[in-house]
Amino acid sequence: MDIKTDVCNGCGQCVIVCPVQAIRMVDNKAVIDEELCVECSVCYRDANCPVNAIRMKRLKWPRVIRVPFSNVIATHKVTGVPGRGTEEMKTNDVTNRFNIGEIGVSIELGRPGIGTHLENIELFTTRLSKIGVTYEEKSPVTALMVDDKGHINEEIKEQRVLSAIIEFKIPDKKLPQILEVIRKVDKEIDTVFSVGIVSRIKDNNTKEIMNRVSQLGFQVRPNAKINIGLGRP
Amino acid sequence: MTHSLHRKGIEKDLKKDYVVLAMLAAGFNDKYDDSRQKLIKIGEILKNHNPVNIMPEIGWRTSPTVTATFNNIKTVKKIIRILKKEDLGLSIVISGLISEIEKVVKEVDLGVHTIHFSLGNTFGRRELLPQEKILEITTMCGHHTVSSQSITHYLELIKQGKLTVEKAAKKLTKPCVCGIFNTSRAIQILNTLVKD
Repeated sequence: MDIKTDVCNGCGQCVIVCPVQAIRMVDNKAVIDEELCVECSVCYRDANCPVNAIRMKRLKWPRVIRVPFSNVIATHKVTGVPGRGTEEMKTNDVTNRFNIGEIGVSIELGRPGIGTHLENIELFTTRLSKIGVTYEEKSPVTALMVDDKGHINEEIKEQRVLSAIIEFKIPDKKLPQILEVIRKVDKEIDTVFSVGIVSRIKDNNTKEIMNRVSQLGFQVRPNAKINIGLGRP
Repeated sequence: MTHSLHRKGIEKDLKKDYVVLAMLAAGFNDKYDDSRQKLIKIGEILKNHNPVNIMPEIGWRTSPTVTATFNNIKTVKKIIRILKKEDLGLSIVISGLISEIEKVVKEVDLGVHTIHFSLGNTFGRRELLPQEKILEITTMCGHHTVSSQSITHYLELIKQGKLTVEKAAKKLTKPCVCGIFNTSRAIQILNTLVKD
Protein backbone atom coordinates (compact mmCIF):
# COMPACT_ATOMS: atom_id res chain seq x y z
CA MET A 1 0.00 0.00 0.00
CA ASP A 2 1.05 3.57 -0.51
CA ILE A 3 -0.16 6.85 0.96
CA LYS A 4 0.64 9.98 -1.00
CA THR A 5 1.83 12.34 1.73
CA ASP A 6 1.49 15.36 -0.53
CA VAL A 7 -2.22 14.54 -0.92
CA CYS A 8 -2.98 13.32 2.68
CA ASN A 9 -5.05 15.79 4.72
CA GLY A 10 -4.17 14.15 8.05
CA CYS A 11 -7.67 12.97 8.97
CA GLY A 12 -6.27 9.72 10.45
CA GLN A 13 -9.09 7.42 9.29
CA CYS A 14 -6.57 4.97 7.79
CA VAL A 15 -4.69 4.80 11.11
CA ILE A 16 -7.90 3.72 12.84
CA VAL A 17 -8.88 0.91 10.45
CA CYS A 18 -5.44 -0.69 9.91
CA PRO A 19 -5.69 -4.21 11.45
CA VAL A 20 -1.94 -4.42 12.18
CA GLN A 21 -1.26 -0.84 13.28
CA ALA A 22 1.13 -0.22 10.41
CA ILE A 23 0.02 3.39 9.81
CA ARG A 24 0.99 6.30 12.05
CA MET A 25 0.79 10.07 11.89
CA VAL A 26 4.04 11.95 11.25
CA ASP A 27 3.85 15.76 10.99
CA ASN A 28 0.08 15.45 10.54
CA LYS A 29 0.46 13.08 7.58
CA ALA A 30 -0.33 9.34 7.51
CA VAL A 31 2.77 7.21 6.93
CA ILE A 32 2.88 3.45 6.30
CA ASP A 33 5.54 1.33 7.99
CA GLU A 34 6.52 -0.90 5.05
CA GLU A 35 7.77 -3.69 7.34
CA LEU A 36 4.59 -3.85 9.42
CA CYS A 37 2.18 -3.47 6.48
CA VAL A 38 0.80 -6.87 5.42
CA GLU A 39 -0.83 -5.58 2.19
CA CYS A 40 -4.36 -6.41 3.36
CA SER A 41 -5.84 -3.32 1.62
CA VAL A 42 -8.26 -2.62 4.47
CA CYS A 43 -7.10 1.02 4.52
CA TYR A 44 -7.76 1.30 0.77
CA ARG A 45 -11.24 -0.25 1.03
CA ASP A 46 -12.53 1.01 4.38
CA ALA A 47 -10.83 4.22 5.48
CA ASN A 48 -13.02 6.28 3.13
CA CYS A 49 -10.02 8.51 2.50
CA PRO A 50 -11.61 11.90 1.68
CA VAL A 51 -8.76 12.92 -0.64
CA ASN A 52 -7.98 9.54 -2.27
CA ALA A 53 -4.43 9.53 -0.93
CA ILE A 54 -4.29 5.74 -0.48
CA ARG A 55 -3.08 3.78 -3.50
CA MET A 56 -2.50 0.12 -4.25
CA LYS A 57 1.07 -0.37 -5.44
CA ARG A 58 2.14 -2.89 -8.06
CA LEU A 59 4.12 -5.23 -5.83
CA LYS A 60 7.21 -7.17 -6.83
CA TRP A 61 8.42 -10.58 -5.69
CA PRO A 62 8.79 -11.48 -2.85
CA ARG A 63 6.64 -8.73 -1.28
CA VAL A 64 3.67 -9.71 -3.43
CA ILE A 65 3.39 -12.97 -1.44
CA ARG A 66 1.88 -10.89 1.41
CA VAL A 67 -1.32 -10.34 -0.56
CA PRO A 68 -2.93 -13.83 -0.63
CA PHE A 69 -2.16 -14.26 3.09
CA SER A 70 -3.63 -10.92 4.09
CA ASN A 71 -6.14 -9.55 1.59
CA VAL A 72 -9.54 -11.22 1.93
CA ILE A 73 -10.51 -10.20 -1.60
CA ALA A 74 -7.49 -11.93 -3.15
CA THR A 75 -8.02 -15.45 -4.47
CA HIS A 76 -4.91 -17.61 -4.18
CA LYS A 77 -3.99 -19.30 -7.47
CA VAL A 78 -3.57 -22.67 -5.71
CA THR A 79 -6.81 -22.75 -3.71
CA GLY A 80 -9.18 -20.94 -6.05
CA VAL A 81 -10.88 -19.75 -2.86
CA PRO A 82 -10.92 -16.15 -1.61
CA GLY A 83 -9.03 -15.84 1.67
CA ARG A 84 -6.03 -17.76 2.97
CA GLY A 85 -7.55 -21.14 3.77
CA THR A 86 -9.08 -23.99 1.79
CA GLU A 87 -12.39 -25.82 1.68
CA GLU A 88 -11.08 -28.07 4.51
CA MET A 89 -14.02 -29.66 6.40
CA LYS A 90 -16.59 -27.30 4.94
CA THR A 91 -17.19 -29.64 2.00
CA ASN A 92 -16.15 -32.88 3.70
CA ASP A 93 -19.56 -34.45 3.11
CA VAL A 94 -18.80 -34.16 -0.62
CA THR A 95 -15.02 -34.64 -0.80
CA ASN A 96 -14.37 -37.10 2.06
CA ARG A 97 -11.12 -35.23 2.65
CA PHE A 98 -11.23 -36.42 6.27
CA ASN A 99 -12.39 -39.98 6.93
CA ILE A 100 -13.16 -41.91 10.09
CA GLY A 101 -9.84 -42.59 11.85
CA GLU A 102 -8.22 -39.42 10.53
CA ILE A 103 -7.84 -36.05 12.22
CA GLY A 104 -7.43 -32.73 10.47
CA VAL A 105 -5.46 -29.91 12.04
CA SER A 106 -5.39 -26.21 11.20
CA ILE A 107 -2.72 -24.05 12.81
CA GLU A 108 -3.22 -20.38 12.02
CA LEU A 109 -0.12 -18.31 12.70
CA GLY A 110 -0.60 -14.64 13.53
CA ARG A 111 -4.24 -15.08 14.49
CA PRO A 112 -5.96 -13.26 16.07
CA GLY A 113 -4.88 -9.98 14.57
CA ILE A 114 -1.16 -9.85 15.34
CA GLY A 115 0.32 -11.09 12.06
CA THR A 116 3.37 -13.24 11.47
CA HIS A 117 6.55 -13.51 9.47
CA LEU A 118 6.35 -16.48 7.12
CA GLU A 119 9.56 -17.93 8.60
CA ASN A 120 7.50 -18.96 11.66
CA ILE A 121 5.86 -21.64 9.50
CA GLU A 122 9.04 -23.72 9.75
CA LEU A 123 8.82 -23.84 13.55
CA PHE A 124 5.94 -26.21 12.93
CA THR A 125 6.53 -27.78 9.55
CA THR A 126 10.08 -29.03 10.18
CA ARG A 127 8.77 -30.88 13.25
CA LEU A 128 5.51 -32.02 11.67
CA SER A 129 7.34 -33.44 8.66
CA LYS A 130 9.49 -35.62 10.97
CA ILE A 131 6.32 -37.01 12.56
CA GLY A 132 4.81 -37.62 9.14
CA VAL A 133 1.71 -35.64 8.26
CA THR A 134 -0.24 -35.22 5.03
CA TYR A 135 -0.28 -31.54 4.15
CA GLU A 136 -3.34 -30.16 2.39
CA GLU A 137 -2.25 -29.94 -1.24
CA LYS A 138 -4.35 -26.86 -1.96
CA SER A 139 -3.17 -24.85 1.03
CA PRO A 140 -1.20 -21.67 0.17
CA VAL A 141 1.24 -22.64 2.95
CA THR A 142 1.92 -26.05 1.40
CA ALA A 143 2.69 -24.26 -1.86
CA LEU A 144 5.54 -22.45 -0.07
CA MET A 145 7.32 -25.68 0.88
CA VAL A 146 10.41 -26.63 -1.11
CA ASP A 147 11.15 -30.11 0.27
CA ASP A 148 9.62 -32.96 2.25
CA LYS A 149 11.36 -31.80 5.43
CA GLY A 150 9.02 -28.84 5.87
CA HIS A 151 11.39 -26.10 4.71
CA ILE A 152 9.87 -23.14 2.90
CA ASN A 153 11.20 -20.90 0.15
CA GLU A 154 14.09 -18.83 1.59
CA GLU A 155 13.12 -15.80 -0.50
CA ILE A 156 9.82 -15.24 1.30
CA LYS A 157 10.74 -15.98 4.92
CA GLU A 158 11.05 -12.35 6.00
CA GLN A 159 7.66 -11.40 4.54
CA ARG A 160 5.02 -10.43 7.07
CA VAL A 161 1.38 -11.46 6.62
CA LEU A 162 -1.89 -11.15 8.52
CA SER A 163 -2.05 -14.91 9.04
CA ALA A 164 -0.94 -18.19 7.48
CA ILE A 165 -2.76 -21.48 8.01
CA ILE A 166 -0.86 -24.78 8.11
CA GLU A 167 -3.41 -27.45 7.17
CA PHE A 168 -2.75 -31.17 7.36
CA LYS A 169 -4.23 -34.50 8.38
CA ILE A 170 -2.90 -37.39 10.43
CA PRO A 171 -3.95 -40.85 11.47
CA ASP A 172 -5.84 -40.57 14.75
CA LYS A 173 -3.02 -42.20 16.77
CA LYS A 174 -0.58 -39.35 16.01
CA LEU A 175 -2.67 -36.70 17.79
CA PRO A 176 -0.55 -36.69 21.01
CA GLN A 177 2.62 -36.04 18.97
CA ILE A 178 1.01 -33.11 17.20
CA LEU A 179 -0.20 -31.57 20.44
CA GLU A 180 3.33 -31.91 21.80
CA VAL A 181 4.63 -29.84 18.86
CA ILE A 182 2.02 -27.18 19.70
CA ARG A 183 3.26 -27.10 23.31
CA LYS A 184 6.87 -26.63 22.17
CA VAL A 185 6.19 -23.89 19.63
CA ASP A 186 3.93 -22.11 22.16
CA LYS A 187 7.10 -21.28 24.13
CA GLU A 188 9.31 -20.37 21.14
CA ILE A 189 7.27 -18.32 18.70
CA ASP A 190 7.37 -14.50 18.54
CA THR A 191 3.69 -14.13 17.65
CA VAL A 192 0.35 -15.77 18.46
CA PHE A 193 -1.39 -18.71 16.84
CA SER A 194 -4.75 -20.49 17.01
CA VAL A 195 -5.40 -24.19 16.52
CA GLY A 196 -8.40 -26.09 15.15
CA ILE A 197 -9.11 -29.83 15.15
CA VAL A 198 -11.23 -31.51 12.47
CA SER A 199 -12.92 -34.86 13.01
CA ARG A 200 -15.37 -36.89 10.95
CA ILE A 201 -18.13 -37.86 13.39
CA LYS A 202 -19.52 -41.36 13.79
CA ASP A 203 -22.99 -41.91 15.27
CA ASN A 204 -23.32 -38.20 16.16
CA ASN A 205 -20.78 -38.66 18.95
CA THR A 206 -18.89 -35.35 19.05
CA LYS A 207 -17.88 -35.90 22.67
CA GLU A 208 -15.37 -38.63 21.87
CA ILE A 209 -12.84 -36.42 20.05
CA MET A 210 -13.39 -33.42 22.32
CA ASN A 211 -12.92 -35.50 25.47
CA ARG A 212 -9.76 -36.98 23.99
CA VAL A 213 -8.28 -33.54 23.33
CA SER A 214 -9.26 -32.46 26.87
CA GLN A 215 -7.60 -35.53 28.36
CA LEU A 216 -4.42 -34.61 26.51
CA GLY A 217 -4.40 -31.32 28.43
CA PHE A 218 -6.00 -28.84 26.00
CA GLN A 219 -9.14 -26.76 26.47
CA VAL A 220 -11.92 -27.05 23.93
CA ARG A 221 -14.15 -24.10 23.10
CA PRO A 222 -17.97 -24.54 23.35
CA ASN A 223 -18.49 -23.25 19.80
CA ALA A 224 -17.42 -24.93 16.58
CA LYS A 225 -18.12 -25.33 12.88
CA ILE A 226 -20.41 -28.25 12.11
CA ASN A 227 -20.95 -29.75 8.67
CA ILE A 228 -24.48 -31.18 8.77
CA GLY A 229 -24.07 -33.60 5.89
CA LEU A 230 -26.39 -32.14 3.23
CA GLY A 231 -23.76 -32.09 0.49
CA ARG A 232 -23.24 -34.77 -2.13
CA PRO A 233 -20.88 -35.22 -5.10
CA MET B 1 -10.62 -19.93 5.40
CA THR B 2 -11.38 -20.95 8.95
CA HIS B 3 -13.99 -18.16 8.94
CA SER B 4 -15.95 -18.40 12.18
CA LEU B 5 -13.87 -21.01 14.03
CA HIS B 6 -12.04 -18.92 16.61
CA ARG B 7 -14.86 -16.60 17.74
CA LYS B 8 -14.39 -15.65 21.40
CA GLY B 9 -17.08 -15.23 24.02
CA ILE B 10 -18.90 -16.93 26.84
CA GLU B 11 -21.74 -19.40 26.21
CA LYS B 12 -24.47 -16.92 27.19
CA ASP B 13 -23.35 -14.50 24.47
CA LEU B 14 -22.67 -17.18 21.88
CA LYS B 15 -26.31 -18.25 22.13
CA LYS B 16 -26.99 -15.17 19.99
CA ASP B 17 -24.35 -15.84 17.36
CA TYR B 18 -24.68 -18.38 14.54
CA VAL B 19 -23.14 -18.38 11.08
CA VAL B 20 -24.62 -20.41 8.23
CA LEU B 21 -22.34 -21.19 5.28
CA ALA B 22 -23.06 -22.97 2.00
CA MET B 23 -20.21 -23.99 -0.25
CA LEU B 24 -19.64 -25.43 -3.71
CA ALA B 25 -17.03 -28.20 -3.55
CA ALA B 26 -14.45 -27.55 -6.27
CA GLY B 27 -14.26 -30.35 -8.81
CA PHE B 28 -17.54 -31.83 -7.57
CA ASN B 29 -20.53 -29.49 -7.27
CA ASP B 30 -19.12 -26.84 -9.59
CA LYS B 31 -18.97 -29.17 -12.58
CA TYR B 32 -22.76 -28.97 -12.89
CA ASP B 33 -24.32 -26.05 -14.79
CA ASP B 34 -26.95 -25.36 -12.15
CA SER B 35 -24.62 -25.24 -9.13
CA ARG B 36 -24.36 -21.44 -9.13
CA GLN B 37 -28.14 -21.14 -9.23
CA LYS B 38 -28.36 -23.49 -6.25
CA LEU B 39 -25.92 -21.35 -4.28
CA ILE B 40 -27.89 -18.22 -5.14
CA LYS B 41 -31.10 -19.96 -4.05
CA ILE B 42 -29.52 -20.68 -0.66
CA GLY B 43 -28.47 -17.04 -0.46
CA GLU B 44 -32.08 -16.01 -1.03
CA ILE B 45 -33.31 -18.43 1.66
CA LEU B 46 -30.81 -16.97 4.14
CA LYS B 47 -31.74 -13.41 3.17
CA ASN B 48 -35.43 -14.14 3.72
CA HIS B 49 -34.81 -15.15 7.34
CA ASN B 50 -33.79 -11.79 8.71
CA PRO B 51 -30.03 -12.26 9.14
CA VAL B 52 -28.12 -9.73 11.23
CA ASN B 53 -25.51 -9.76 8.46
CA ILE B 54 -25.14 -11.45 5.09
CA MET B 55 -22.54 -11.67 2.34
CA PRO B 56 -23.30 -9.11 -0.41
CA GLU B 57 -25.09 -10.65 -3.40
CA ILE B 58 -22.08 -10.11 -5.66
CA GLY B 59 -20.33 -12.71 -3.49
CA TRP B 60 -23.05 -15.31 -4.09
CA ARG B 61 -22.51 -14.87 -7.82
CA THR B 62 -18.71 -14.90 -7.86
CA SER B 63 -17.34 -16.86 -4.88
CA PRO B 64 -17.84 -20.54 -4.01
CA THR B 65 -19.62 -19.63 -0.76
CA VAL B 66 -22.56 -17.78 0.67
CA THR B 67 -22.63 -16.86 4.35
CA ALA B 68 -25.06 -15.19 6.74
CA THR B 69 -25.21 -14.51 10.47
CA PHE B 70 -28.18 -15.01 12.78
CA ASN B 71 -28.83 -14.08 16.39
CA ASN B 72 -30.97 -17.06 17.39
CA ILE B 73 -30.95 -20.82 16.95
CA LYS B 74 -34.70 -21.02 16.20
CA THR B 75 -34.17 -19.26 12.87
CA VAL B 76 -31.21 -21.50 12.11
CA LYS B 77 -33.41 -24.53 12.74
CA LYS B 78 -36.04 -23.21 10.31
CA ILE B 79 -33.34 -22.68 7.68
CA ILE B 80 -31.91 -26.18 8.14
CA ARG B 81 -35.39 -27.64 7.76
CA ILE B 82 -35.92 -25.75 4.49
CA LEU B 83 -32.49 -26.69 3.15
CA LYS B 84 -33.14 -30.34 3.95
CA LYS B 85 -36.44 -30.20 2.08
CA GLU B 86 -34.89 -28.39 -0.90
CA ASP B 87 -32.18 -31.09 -1.09
CA LEU B 88 -29.82 -28.97 -3.21
CA GLY B 89 -26.79 -31.19 -2.52
CA LEU B 90 -24.44 -28.39 -1.43
CA SER B 91 -22.45 -28.51 1.79
CA ILE B 92 -23.91 -26.60 4.72
CA VAL B 93 -21.84 -25.65 7.76
CA ILE B 94 -23.36 -24.16 10.90
CA SER B 95 -21.07 -22.33 13.26
CA GLY B 96 -21.94 -21.63 16.88
CA LEU B 97 -22.57 -23.36 20.19
CA ILE B 98 -22.02 -27.09 19.68
CA SER B 99 -24.74 -28.16 22.14
CA GLU B 100 -27.39 -25.98 20.48
CA ILE B 101 -26.50 -27.01 16.93
CA GLU B 102 -26.44 -30.70 17.83
CA LYS B 103 -29.90 -30.35 19.37
CA VAL B 104 -31.56 -28.70 16.34
CA VAL B 105 -29.81 -30.96 13.84
CA LYS B 106 -31.20 -33.96 15.70
CA GLU B 107 -34.68 -32.38 15.82
CA VAL B 108 -34.78 -32.06 12.03
CA ASP B 109 -33.55 -35.63 11.68
CA LEU B 110 -30.07 -34.86 10.43
CA GLY B 111 -26.69 -35.55 12.00
CA VAL B 112 -23.25 -34.11 12.58
CA HIS B 113 -21.08 -35.15 9.65
CA THR B 114 -17.82 -33.40 10.53
CA ILE B 115 -16.78 -31.03 13.31
CA HIS B 116 -14.04 -28.38 13.37
CA PHE B 117 -13.44 -27.07 16.89
CA SER B 118 -10.99 -24.60 18.35
CA LEU B 119 -8.52 -25.35 21.12
CA GLY B 120 -9.55 -22.92 23.87
CA ASN B 121 -6.55 -20.70 24.30
CA THR B 122 -4.69 -18.54 21.88
CA PHE B 123 -1.10 -19.82 21.88
CA GLY B 124 2.26 -18.05 21.76
CA ARG B 125 2.74 -14.44 22.84
CA ARG B 126 -0.69 -13.77 24.33
CA GLU B 127 0.63 -10.56 25.93
CA LEU B 128 0.44 -8.97 22.45
CA LEU B 129 -3.35 -9.35 22.37
CA PRO B 130 -5.88 -6.69 23.31
CA GLN B 131 -8.31 -7.33 26.18
CA GLU B 132 -10.77 -10.22 25.86
CA LYS B 133 -13.88 -8.07 25.21
CA ILE B 134 -12.12 -6.36 22.30
CA LEU B 135 -11.18 -9.80 20.95
CA GLU B 136 -14.82 -10.87 21.17
CA ILE B 137 -15.52 -8.18 18.58
CA THR B 138 -12.44 -8.53 16.34
CA THR B 139 -12.70 -12.34 16.11
CA MET B 140 -16.19 -12.02 14.63
CA CYS B 141 -14.40 -11.28 11.35
CA GLY B 142 -12.70 -14.53 10.35
CA HIS B 143 -10.14 -12.73 8.22
CA HIS B 144 -9.39 -10.29 11.04
CA THR B 145 -10.03 -7.15 9.04
CA VAL B 146 -11.59 -5.39 12.06
CA SER B 147 -8.88 -3.48 13.92
CA SER B 148 -8.73 -3.30 17.72
CA GLN B 149 -7.85 0.39 17.66
CA SER B 150 -11.00 1.17 15.67
CA ILE B 151 -12.98 -0.25 18.59
CA THR B 152 -11.14 1.83 21.19
CA HIS B 153 -11.48 4.90 18.97
CA TYR B 154 -15.23 4.44 18.50
CA LEU B 155 -15.66 3.76 22.24
CA GLU B 156 -14.07 7.11 22.96
CA LEU B 157 -16.43 8.84 20.49
CA ILE B 158 -19.43 7.05 22.06
CA LYS B 159 -18.38 8.23 25.52
CA GLN B 160 -18.07 11.79 24.18
CA GLY B 161 -21.57 11.57 22.71
CA LYS B 162 -20.24 11.97 19.16
CA LEU B 163 -21.24 8.48 17.94
CA THR B 164 -24.02 6.06 18.83
CA VAL B 165 -23.31 2.43 19.70
CA GLU B 166 -25.43 1.36 16.72
CA LYS B 167 -23.45 3.50 14.28
CA ALA B 168 -20.16 2.28 15.74
CA ALA B 169 -21.26 -1.34 15.27
CA LYS B 170 -22.21 -0.57 11.67
CA LYS B 171 -18.77 0.94 11.03
CA LEU B 172 -17.09 -2.13 12.55
CA THR B 173 -19.18 -4.40 10.32
CA LYS B 174 -18.01 -2.76 7.10
CA PRO B 175 -14.54 -4.39 6.65
CA CYS B 176 -15.98 -7.92 6.99
CA VAL B 177 -16.85 -8.72 3.38
CA CYS B 178 -18.06 -12.26 4.14
CA GLY B 179 -21.06 -11.11 6.18
CA ILE B 180 -20.17 -13.10 9.28
CA PHE B 181 -19.59 -10.15 11.63
CA ASN B 182 -22.50 -10.18 14.06
CA THR B 183 -23.63 -6.56 14.23
CA SER B 184 -26.20 -7.07 16.99
CA ARG B 185 -23.67 -8.90 19.18
CA ALA B 186 -21.19 -6.07 18.57
CA ILE B 187 -23.80 -3.60 19.88
CA GLN B 188 -24.18 -5.70 23.01
CA ILE B 189 -20.40 -5.90 23.62
CA LEU B 190 -19.90 -2.18 22.92
CA ASN B 191 -22.61 -1.36 25.47
CA THR B 192 -20.73 -3.46 28.04
CA LEU B 193 -17.42 -1.77 27.20
CA VAL B 194 -18.93 1.72 27.43
CA LYS B 195 -20.07 0.99 30.99
CA ASP B 196 -16.58 -0.25 32.04
